[in-house]
Parts: sequence; structure tokens; C-alpha cells
Amino acid sequence: MPIQVTADLQENIRNFEELFSDCADIKKRNIKVGKNLQEECYIAYIEVALSSVDWKDSAVGKFLGKLRTLPEEELAAYVKNNVEDISDSQPFATIEDAAQAMLTGDVLFFLDGYNKALKIPDKGYPSRGVYETESEKVIRGSNEGFSESVKLNTALIRKRLRSPHVKVKESFAGRRTHTNVDLVYMKDLIHPGMLKEIEKRLGEFEIDGTLDSGIIEQLTEKRKYSPFPQFQTTQRPDRAAMAILEGRIVLLSDNSPVALILPATYNTYIQTSDDYYSRWEIASFTRALRYLASFMAMVFPGLYLAMTNFHTQIVPTDLLLSLAAARQGVPFPAMVEVIIMEIAFELLREAGVRLPGANGNTIGIVGGLIIGQAAVDANIVSPIVVIVVALTALCSFAVPNEEFATAFRILKFMFIFLCGSLGFFGFLTGLLVVLIHLSHLESFGIPYLAPFVGADLNGYQDERDTFLRLPLNFLKKRPVYTREGARTKLKFNQPKEKEKK
Amino acid sequence: MFADNWKISLRQIKRLFVMDIFGISSLILPGIFSTLTGADGILCLTLGMAGGMVLLWLIGANLKHIKTDYYSYIKDTVGQLLGDVFMVFYFLYFVTLCGYVLNQVTMLVLTWLLPEGSWMGVCILLLLLAVYASMRGIEGRARVYEIIFWFLGIPLLIMLFLAMQEVDTACWTPIVSSGGAQFLEGTIAVLIFLLPLTALLFLKPFCQKPQQLASCGRWAMFLVIVLNALIYLILVGVFGQNTMGILKRPIITLMGMVNLPGGFFTRQDVLMTAVWFFALFALMNTGIFQGTLILKDLCQQCRGSWALWATAVLAFIIAKGFFEYNFLTEVFEIYQSHVALPGMFLILLILLSLHWAKERKPKKEGITDV
Repeated sequence: MPIQVTADLQENIRNFEELFSDCADIKKRNIKVGKNLQEECYIAYIEVALSSVDWKDSAVGKFLGKLRTLPEEELAAYVKNNVEDISDSQPFATIEDAAQAMLTGDVLFFLDGYNKALKIPDKGYPSRGVYETESEKVIRGSNEGFSESVKLNTALIRKRLRSPHVKVKESFAGRRTHTNVDLVYMKDLIHPGMLKEIEKRLGEFEIDGTLDSGIIEQLTEKRKYSPFPQFQTTQRPDRAAMAILEGRIVLLSDNSPVALILPATYNTYIQTSDDYYSRWEIASFTRALRYLASFMAMVFPGLYLAMTNFHTQIVPTDLLLSLAAARQGVPFPAMVEVIIMEIAFELLREAGVRLPGANGNTIGIVGGLIIGQAAVDANIVSPIVVIVVALTALCSFAVPNEEFATAFRILKFMFIFLCGSLGFFGFLTGLLVVLIHLSHLESFGIPYLAPFVGADLNGYQDERDTFLRLPLNFLKKRPVYTREGARTKLKFNQPKEKEKK
Repeated sequence: MFADNWKISLRQIKRLFVMDIFGISSLILPGIFSTLTGADGILCLTLGMAGGMVLLWLIGANLKHIKTDYYSYIKDTVGQLLGDVFMVFYFLYFVTLCGYVLNQVTMLVLTWLLPEGSWMGVCILLLLLAVYASMRGIEGRARVYEIIFWFLGIPLLIMLFLAMQEVDTACWTPIVSSGGAQFLEGTIAVLIFLLPLTALLFLKPFCQKPQQLASCGRWAMFLVIVLNALIYLILVGVFGQNTMGILKRPIITLMGMVNLPGGFFTRQDVLMTAVWFFALFALMNTGIFQGTLILKDLCQQCRGSWALWATAVLAFIIAKGFFEYNFLTEVFEIYQSHVALPGMFLILLILLSLHWAKERKPKKEGITDV
């Protein structure tokens, strides 16, 4: 049963302090207000969330200052009638709601004779601010990255999409964390069904806490046993804005610099922001390279095993001889050799990620150069396997999305086992398994393999932005995720058309 | 939204049928032609295409009258009992085809890719894959083949183009030299390989634009016949008719002989086997899918997964039979040419005639009333 805020200040203080007993970080202060300082009010806030240095200049400071100029009998009426003068201030009728509002980083204000608790905004929780992204680096384009504050992240998107059609739907996830989850979308572009679907899925679970968008991602995915992610992730506001312009929905979660984008397809994971900022030739070249990299990151060690262990007739004799010479003295079968090197590499990668910056780089050099060379010298692995594993790793790094690349890293082991034991038949079998799985997979109603499949749904327009990124004047339509009737994104004005003719 | 709507596009249907017909026909037809008709194989292909056009016309004419699905149409036209008999006929066709192709693709793997492998292991693995592919309906299957169509098609066309340099056109003659019986046999063989097109009849509920199903079939058939003609001309030109007759799978042998410019890769037969592996797998999958669909219609109380597994097990038993007993392959050939082929035409003709008769009847009555 919620406790109502009453006009009796002492009762409100009692109820509030009972709720926040033993909370040393919550500051509660009784302050005298009114012309003669005869009236009492009560404010509560999280210690670091209120700007104590410029207290006088803050909204709370100014508000209290104003109350000290008014006669005591007019205070309650003033607060009641003028609360909306303060931007984002909000009255609450129950202690629980008011407490929840304070926990978002704002200040709570109680006044004798006023039967509401007033939330007054202040600087909120400390956050990192806008920094450069650590991942998804681009050669051309903005370097701004999302931070841990959902409000800041929303603003970064809004800064890029200055349209009233951009809507932000706020909800909360986590029974104990009350984490802000914002859905950002362009109202006139999205399929309404898609918004309903994500809202439905968000409402389908109840969890104690969501400390990162990754938890929401896993709980709302439809195919939970697939190694492939069904949400695209990004730390770049421009990528998120671009997705919104394509009729997709961006999910922002407080305390997480990673935004989720839905729906996602194989093609969207391969795209990067600067694909559209750079000239089409280089964009197409790098795009095709990334597609190849995603494939090779999965199959390269397996193909090596199939070709050297089962189908040596494919390989020219000279190369075969040099491969055999390189393997001389290595005691392990080729498959074991590849697995040892792959696991060693995965260990290096994991160690590099966990160690602090400079140490991480060191471990990469130590691992890559010294351990690799030592392993070759000790005849534990052959130099060709080191090359295969290194190339595979390069391929996986070339995939722009970390979660997506991880799927290939895992599947790589399946291919190693299949090709190592069944040769090229194993490769074909593995390929079929992956293809069938991907063809069954979908993300919010969109086939994962779109637009390679179902391209007819958008008049085959989406195929212009796949392996190759055609010049921008060919990309006049938004992808199939956009609501029908709102798919034109580029058109040339009449004079330009005439000039062209 | 779009996915899981159980509808596939015309492009997907075209590509699926190209894969279905091309794989098995390009693998087996050249061998048949070389022993039966020599260079006249091209004429058999042309005549076979004409027969295929008739088949597709019958399919198209019947498709126009199908309101919901083929089984309901059959039942409405010929009654429940005969309808069930027809459906059993289709089931037997698809399940035996599936078993035959399963054995073929297993043998292909064991001959070219995994000579030391076990038939049982390869066969079961392929069957499980086919079941996995069919589990979530036609959409997933159609998407797989929509995607890999050009990945297989482009290398194949490049290889065929490179093989053309080796062709000795003198081997293309003499033409019109074989007897009428051989001609007929060759043409019937072509028609048998076009029979999977009858699966179009069952696709109406799954197609976004069902009115264009027959034209999809025509497109697929035309492309496959052209490819087969090209392959046959190249094979005859490269190997000569006598050598080709003794080769097990001449098209794959040809792939192993083609020299790529630069000369780095010397043998591509293993890599190019992928084309036939995927194509045969597609046909096997069609057999399982259609068999399951028919079984579900015939036994409506049965659950979908039950029908799928039953079809798969039956296909496995048939494949095992083909592997163990060579005479069964001959029996299968006789079944295809003497039962399946005439049966397919006959059923379509009966259905069409009865439907026309039914349509005319009320009109005549109407005229008398006036």
C-alpha cells in the first residue's frame, strides 16, 4: 500500500526517513524558509547528485532563495501554483513515487502545508560525459560515443535528428534497479508492429536488475540458443541516428554506453558509419572485404585442414611439399595443432582485453611474437598454422561488430572439428548447417539474411547496399524495415533532373 | 511481419526448382545420352522440353482451379477415395525420389569427397540435415537456395566457359543417327528429370503470387534445359561419346580437368562437387518436404513432426535399399518411366477433364432453365 504525502511535514519526514533509514549516501536536510525563516521545509538528495559547489546557482538553490523572500503563509500556495516554472520539476502524491524520482538523481522537496513531494532537477548522477568510442572506429565521421547516461545518449541522437517525429518512449526495467530504458524511433518511419513487439517483449520478463543493455538484449531475443545476435549494438550516436532514419528502433539503457538497434540483419552488422561518408568505390571495396572476412573468420582453419589432410590434389605440388616440410617434426596431428594455436590465440585475446591498457598491448606483442616464435622453434606448431591462425584472427577483427564477430569465432571451432574429421564434406555440411540456421533466423520479423532473401519486398532496392555500396544517388529508398509508403529517402529536385537529361 | 509468413517469393521458387532439376539431371543425363543417342542427346533435350511444356501447361491449368490447396482440389474433383489414392501416388513418388537422391548424394560424397567414409554415417548426417532444413517449413529452405544460387552458378559458368576451349566440335556429329526407340527413351529420361516440377501443384498456399507459379516452372525448366544442353555439348566435345559412356559422373570428371588461368589450382573437382552436393540436397529436401506435406494431408490427426520423421525414415530405408541392392535402381527406373511419368500426366488430365465437365454442367442446366 503506497504511503500518501500529506500536508503534515513531520509525518512526511517520518515516512520518508523510515524508507531511507541506514542510507548514509542520502542527504536529508531541514531548511528554514519564509521571509522570517519561520516555516520549515525538507529536502532530500543523493550526496553526489547535487551540485554543492554552486548551490546558490542551482535550481534548488534559487528555488529556496525565492521561498525566503515570501511571507510564510503564502509559501504553500506559491509552490502549488508555480511548480511548473522550474523545468522538469514534478509533484508526486506518494512517498514511494517521490523516492523513486529522487533515485534518478534529482532533489526532493517537502513543505509544511503542501500535500505533494516536489522533484526538482539537478545535475544528477556523475557520468563520464561524451568521449571518443573505443570500438567501431571510423576513418571519416564523428568520433563522439555514447556514455553511461541514458539522457545524454538520447540528447546525442536528438542532436543529429532534429525532427519532432523522433519519439522517445521511456520505460523502466529491473525491479530493484529501476533502470531507464528508452526506445528512440522516428514515428512516421517505423512499422508500428515492430514497436509493439519490442514493448511486448520488454514486458514479458521481470528481473531484479538490468545493469547493462546486454541483459535486456538476451532476455528479449527470440532465438536464445543461436550464436548470432539478433540486436545490433553500437556505441556511436551517428550509427544510431542512421538506424533511426532507416525506420529502425534504438533501445538505450541507463548505465550502458551500448545502444541496441532492432531489427538487425547480417548485412547491417557488416555496414559501418563511414561506408556512407566515404566515396562509393572505397566503401564498396571495404564492404566486400568485410563480407569475405566474416566468412573466412569462420572457415579458414577448417578449409586449411580439409585441403591438407583430405584433398591434397587441390593444392599445387610445390605448395604441398613446402607445407609438408613446414610440418616436419611437429608431433601433433594437424587438427590438434590448429586447436592448440586457436586456443592459445583466444587466451591471448582474453588476457589482452582484461589487462589494463598498456599491459594489454604488451601481452599481444609478447604472445604474438615471442610465444608464437618459441612454439614454432620448439616444433609444437608449424609456421603455416601460425599464419592460418593469424589470418583468421585478422579476419575476425575486420568484422565491425564485436558480438557478430564472436559468432564466427565460436563457429570456427565447429568447422575445425567437421573439416578435420570429414574434409571438404565436413566443410559443406557445416556451411549447410550455418545457412539453414541463418535462413531460419529473424530479427523482429525481418529475415536475418535480408536483403539477400526476400529482396522483392522492397522492389530489389535493398540489394544496392549489400556486397557493394552503390553511389548514393542509387540509394533512393529506405530499407525494408521502414513502413511502406515512407521509403523514399533521396530525391533530386526538378532542375537537377532536367540538367541530367 | 515478413518472416515466418509461410510465403515464398517467385524468385525463390524459380531458384529452388532450378536447383531441384539441374543437380540430378546434369549428373545423370549425359551418361544416359551417351549410351542411348550419342550426339542426338540435344534433340532429346529439346523434345523433353516440349514434353515439359505440356506438363507445365497441365500444371498451370489445374493451378487455376485450385482454391486453397491441391489436396482439397483433388478431393472436390474426384472424391475422397480417389483423392487419397492420388495423394498416395504423389507420396510414393516423392519419397522414392528422396530415397534415390539420398543414396546418390551419399555416393557422390563417398566417391569424390570422403572415399574412406561410411555410407551409413554420411547418409544419416545428410538426412538429419534435411530434417533440420524442413523443420521450419518452406521459407528457410527457399532462402538457402535463393542465397547460394549465384555462389554456385557463377563458378559453374566460369568452369564451363573455360572447358569450352577443350571442345572438339567434330564429336558433335553425326546427328539424327539414333533410332526412334533410343530417341523416345532419351526423351522419356529428360521428362522423368522434369517430374519434380509437379511439386508446383502443392505450392499454391505457400506462394506470394500463385497465379505465376507455372511460369516460374517454365523459367526454371528452360534454364535447366539450356544448361544441360551446354554441358552435354561440352562433355561430348571434350570426352567423345565412347569415353563419356564409361565415365561415372562425366560432369565432375570434366571439372577436375579444367585448367584455371594462372595454373595455381590444378584440380577443382572437389571444390566443384559443392554444386551437385547442394543441388542434390535441394531435391532430397523437396522430397522430404513434399512427402511430409502429403502425409500431413492424408493423416490429419498426425502431428507435423511425426509426418516429417516418418518420411525421413522411409526415405532412409529406400536409400539403404538402393545402396544394398543394385536391381532396385533398375526397378526404380521402370517405376519412373512406366508408372510415375504416365501417372503424373494422367492425374492432371483426369482432374482437368473432370473439372471442365463439372464447370460445363451447371451452365447447360442454366441454358435449359432460360
